[in-house]
Amino acid sequence: MSNKVRLIKKTSRTFLLTGLVLAVLSTIALFFYTKYQLENELEEVLYSTEARVENALKSGKTVGSLPPILEVNEVKSLKDRVLKDTVIYDPSQQEMELFREYSNYRKINGKNYQITIREMVVESEDFLIAIVLSNVIIFGLAFVFLFYFNTSRNLQLWQPFFKNLEQMKRFSLSSKAPLELVESDVLEFSELKNEITTLTNKVRADYENLKQFTEDVSHEMQTPLAIIQAKLDNIINSQEINEVQFIQITSIQKDIQKLKQLNKRITILTKIDNNQFVTVENVNLTEIINNKVESFKELKMSKMLHASNDMLNITMDPYLAEILINNLISNAIKHNNSEEVITIVSDKSSFVISNFGEKALEHPSKLFHRFYRESNETKSTGLGLAIVKKICDLYQFKVSYKFEKMHHFFSVNFSTK
Amino acid sequence: MKFLIAEDEHDLQQSIATYLERDGNICEVASDYIEASEKVSIYEYDVIVLDINLLTGSGLDVLKTIKKEKKNAGVIIISANNSLTDKLEGLDLGADDYITKPFHLAELNSRINAVLRRGKYGGSEIMEFNEIKIDTKSRAAYINDKAISLTRKEYDLLVFFISNKGRVLSKEIIAEHLWGDDSDLLDNFDFIYVHINNLRKKLTAEGAKYIKTAYGSGYKFIDE
Repeated sequence: MSNKVRLIKKTSRTFLLTGLVLAVLSTIALFFYTKYQLENELEEVLYSTEARVENALKSGKTVGSLPPILEVNEVKSLKDRVLKDTVIYDPSQQEMELFREYSNYRKINGKNYQITIREMVVESEDFLIAIVLSNVIIFGLAFVFLFYFNTSRNLQLWQPFFKNLEQMKRFSLSSKAPLELVESDVLEFSELKNEITTLTNKVRADYENLKQFTEDVSHEMQTPLAIIQAKLDNIINSQEINEVQFIQITSIQKDIQKLKQLNKRITILTKIDNNQFVTVENVNLTEIINNKVESFKELKMSKMLHASNDMLNITMDPYLAEILINNLISNAIKHNNSEEVITIVSDKSSFVISNFGEKALEHPSKLFHRFYRESNETKSTGLGLAIVKKICDLYQFKVSYKFEKMHHFFSVNFSTK
Repeated sequence: MKFLIAEDEHDLQQSIATYLERDGNICEVASDYIEASEKVSIYEYDVIVLDINLLTGSGLDVLKTIKKEKKNAGVIIISANNSLTDKLEGLDLGADDYITKPFHLAELNSRINAVLRRGKYGGSEIMEFNEIKIDTKSRAAYINDKAISLTRKEYDLLVFFISNKGRVLSKEIIAEHLWGDDSDLLDNFDFIYVHINNLRKKLTAEGAKYIKTAYGSGYKFIDE
């Protein structure tokens, strides 16, 4: 986001840049054009003065010199006329001034004359400064005015767009509130508004369908499973069966249980995906951990140690908190060697659980993927850690895994900063 | 005891009835919303097993009828829905327990017994099996009036066994009962042996040899 520019800023910037380029170009053009015009005019003045002097000489008048403006000298021979710049000291101004000088040689009434006309040149810097100054003032004023005019106009023009954008940012699937989009007389904005409405309605409908579908599948699957299970329970009890049949039946029961767990976990994953866990309250995780540890200890499945350095209170859905802790502890028990101790360390903002392991995982990056299993030995649903990851993602907790000193470590960092 | 099984799946309804009737209970059945509503209004039951998704209406509405007419019957909701909201809504409306499909009949039976033992619906807080007596209020067990010391899991196990006396219980069923609903430890049942053996030792020491092995890997609590 950092290198993104606001639309209004961007258009203003373009406007300013274009204006600047135009101002510079027009200044340059004006400078050369003015200079050319002035020079032209000057030369015309020189030519016409020279012609007057010549006419005066022809009619026999005496033309006195007025240096440096006018000099009439008799010379021995005629030369080519000369037009050039020359610098002459001006005593009245007490500085060197630039003059344009035109010398012509004429034979008038048998005498050779050199007629030299000089005209002070308006210095380039002077009129350049004048041009730049007037340009700066004109363009500056025009800029300021146009800039504010354009910006406010643009803001007004884009108003429907910005308003609808704000609405879209607030769009949430879990809230049923409709988007309050504004209509515009600009065709494109109006189309955009209609497209957004269509799109969000479609997304909402799809979301509802998906939710409904998940619920339906869950429902439709559980009922037949319940029937199978109930029938098996009655077969075991009401008929005389043999040991082999009993083993087979209990094996089917195990598979039903597995399907039940699988179904339950998929439902949880889908619900998290669908943002359906919206309860948010302060959950005392330390208490949940203690309770879980106690109940697992009672079952005598693993040795467990819980070191609580500080109370762990987190704002989240209490049901998901239970699942998070339960899945992490279950995972540790499942992969632990029953002789080794499972260690849990919790403090103000983190939870670390470690269990014994023969070797590091081969594909730790796939650890949190759905249905990823390191080996085929464990017949778990393969969703426990995927759910852990999902829950952590939902609340921006960081969950990580490492292998150290023959132990698998799972850490959850609850600080969202 | 008299039960009503309100469940629209005929097979499930019959299976539940068959299982519960083995203890000498009377089971009536209702297959849809109308039948269930009628029966709860007219007759008296000790416990009603109520499916939320009945064919022509919601089980929750039947529950509302039961509570409105102040029927003195325990209600256990069964649902195919894992949804917590459903569960909370059911319990808020006054249901005594909630069980999710699929469930073991032994588990349902044990829940029904637990509801009855709360004493509100004609059951007793004292559970008896020959010389064994359990005071479910104080969670204490006695053999020939002599208190025996049990861990919490052993106590749960004994209550589960007596609730399902005479039935074969596989270690899967027992594990699920002891474990609760959230276990992902499906293939690890070794811990069951520890608890059963400990309980068996404590009972046998007092002469109560009722935990029998059935079909090699299952258990049966029976007086033979």
